[in-house]
Amino acid sequence: MAVNSRVSIDDKQFVISIDERFDFSLHQQFRDAYSSVTTQDLNYILDLSKTEYMDSSALGMILLLKDHVQLYSGQLVVSKPSDTVRKILEIAQFQRLMTIE
Amino acid sequence: MPSSQKLALVVDDSKMQCKLLSVLLQEENYQVVVANDGASGVQMYIEHQPDLVLMDINMPIMDGFEATRRIKKLSGAGNLAPLIFITSMDNEKAFIESVEAGGDSILVRPFSPKVFKAKIKAIQRISDLVEQVKGLQQEQQNDAELAEKMMTGVIEARNFALDQIGVIKKAATIFSGDIQLSALCPNGDLNVLLGDFTGHGLRSSIGAIPVTETFRAMTKKGFSLLEIVAQINRQMHTLLPGDLFFAACFACISEHEKSAYIFNAGLPDGYHFDDKAKIKNQFVSTHPPLGILPQLLSDVQLEVVQVKHSDRIVFITDGIVEARNQAGELFGFTRFESAATEGVAQKDLVNCVLRSLDEFCQHCEQEDDISLVDIPCSGWKPVEFKNKVMIPESFSEEDNVFGAVRNALPAWSYHLHLTDKLLKTVNPIPLVMNQINDLEGAGEHWQCLYTILTELFINSLDHGVLGLDSSLKNSAEGFSQYFKERTKRLDQLTKNVVDTPINFIRITLKYFPLSHGGKMVINIKDSGKGFDILAVIKDNSIAVNDGIKLSGRGVELVNQLCDTLEYQEQGTLVTASYIWHD
Repeated sequence: MAVNSRVSIDDKQFVISIDERFDFSLHQQFRDAYSSVTTQDLNYILDLSKTEYMDSSALGMILLLKDHVQLYSGQLVVSKPSDTVRKILEIAQFQRLMTIE
Repeated sequence: MPSSQKLALVVDDSKMQCKLLSVLLQEENYQVVVANDGASGVQMYIEHQPDLVLMDINMPIMDGFEATRRIKKLSGAGNLAPLIFITSMDNEKAFIESVEAGGDSILVRPFSPKVFKAKIKAIQRISDLVEQVKGLQQEQQNDAELAEKMMTGVIEARNFALDQIGVIKKAATIFSGDIQLSALCPNGDLNVLLGDFTGHGLRSSIGAIPVTETFRAMTKKGFSLLEIVAQINRQMHTLLPGDLFFAACFACISEHEKSAYIFNAGLPDGYHFDDKAKIKNQFVSTHPPLGILPQLLSDVQLEVVQVKHSDRIVFITDGIVEARNQAGELFGFTRFESAATEGVAQKDLVNCVLRSLDEFCQHCEQEDDISLVDIPCSGWKPVEFKNKVMIPESFSEEDNVFGAVRNALPAWSYHLHLTDKLLKTVNPIPLVMNQINDLEGAGEHWQCLYTILTELFINSLDHGVLGLDSSLKNSAEGFSQYFKERTKRLDQLTKNVVDTPINFIRITLKYFPLSHGGKMVINIKDSGKGFDILAVIKDNSIAVNDGIKLSGRGVELVNQLCDTLEYQEQGTLVTASYIWHD
């Protein structure tokens, strides 16, 4: 599976991990990973540590995740982007829209 | 596929079998042609282009499998020539080999006529379906091509100074999701926009039309670049769904001021080359792409740089740096920068970059739209200044400048008084021009008036209210210092929280119709300290080239356009008059 999700032990964190290629083909999988998660005040972590390639539709998917997170009063953190992916996030100035670490 | 009668080709070395099948086919309303070996079967296929082929397997010269392989190869990707094997070999191997060779179905002898006819009908259904799909695909292709032509006509054909601006526009499919626009401001500045809608194809081009209309209309009305960016952002936020956005780079280049204002929201770095092909500035993205946030971020600022007339500003979208070659390597920033540098040196940036790209990618499929604009910093069509001091044929007393001022009453007057915070947030010139257009109708003569008003207002604001010294603008560092300081002082204005506003600018217009044309008297009063120069009257019609220059106030341009220009009340009140003749 190119998109993996897991809830952490104390139920406060929801982690979504993406494999090497984050593009439009993951659209449905990505949405399915979080769409049924309706817990309030959850910490969502988007783990991009394995992601080497990201295109603009992936940026759009991240925006949709952010909308979902906001709907349920949660927090979104984009975690461990590679240098290439970090550069893409920087050009799009996404650090102004969400936390990136 | 036309007509009710279809053509079938029967390939069998047994004449009796051929005859038998022909009869059955004719009963199903087929015309039939026959071949007795594989080779002539292929020949007949080429000649007659049948709608259906029935193929025996064991034949002399060329067997059914080979003939089938050749026929299927001939019919290519688009054409399904349904082919049914007729054989007495009822085993798994025969079946598999038939399908491998390209057969669509297999009939095993003996079979009843009913079974035969059922089979024919079934395969015909599939064939019809394929034809339908092909038809739809073709329609879709036609629609896309037509829409693309229209878009190009509506959007790109009306771009200003297209012959001066270098453009690379390579769409990945028929439609490019990238857009390039250029438009002339009323004061002669050039506005340029390069944008990238997420994705590509028809879907991403829908936002292109509202962006184009807004960009053009607001430029023409004299709105500032940031106001245009803010409006486009608002529009895209409303129009585009949550996962779509518009990354874009904007430039406003002033040949007259020798400056360029740049705003990059989500595109790779823009470049400023000098004529020695050195990269003088790079413009990084300072804001998320447009359409994501309902409003621009509050700290948004234009970047401003000094430019020489021979400099060039270059914007690109990410398609160019992300273009791949067969090995999967990216073209990248380094390769692009060296190709661009070489291109600027050779004064042919577009072709240099294209060549470098082609060499690198080597026919590898283009995945994303590739776009580039190469903008000159001078040389587009200048604003034509009509000589206002022409004596019309029927010169009358009424047209005497001073006579009109002293004795006549204006047909209408208009006052606008802006204080403190409003001086930062409101651009009054488009408002005033709108008023004039509404009262007196649109006209070419208003272009000069726009320039006069803008220059005088900016002077009153910068030097009067804000107290800035324009001599700062004479050096490269001073230039950006000037604008930093200007922004700082404008922000200061918004912090004034008093009952009586201190800072103001008052604009007054009075309009006097003449027998052939009209005269506009403009007064602009500011709350500043003024400057110590005696009231000066410069009258073009009496003393041209009197040599009295109001240096440091940047009014050389205004001098050329007005008929009279006068400073009073220690320089805090400027009066200008502008006359035009029909």
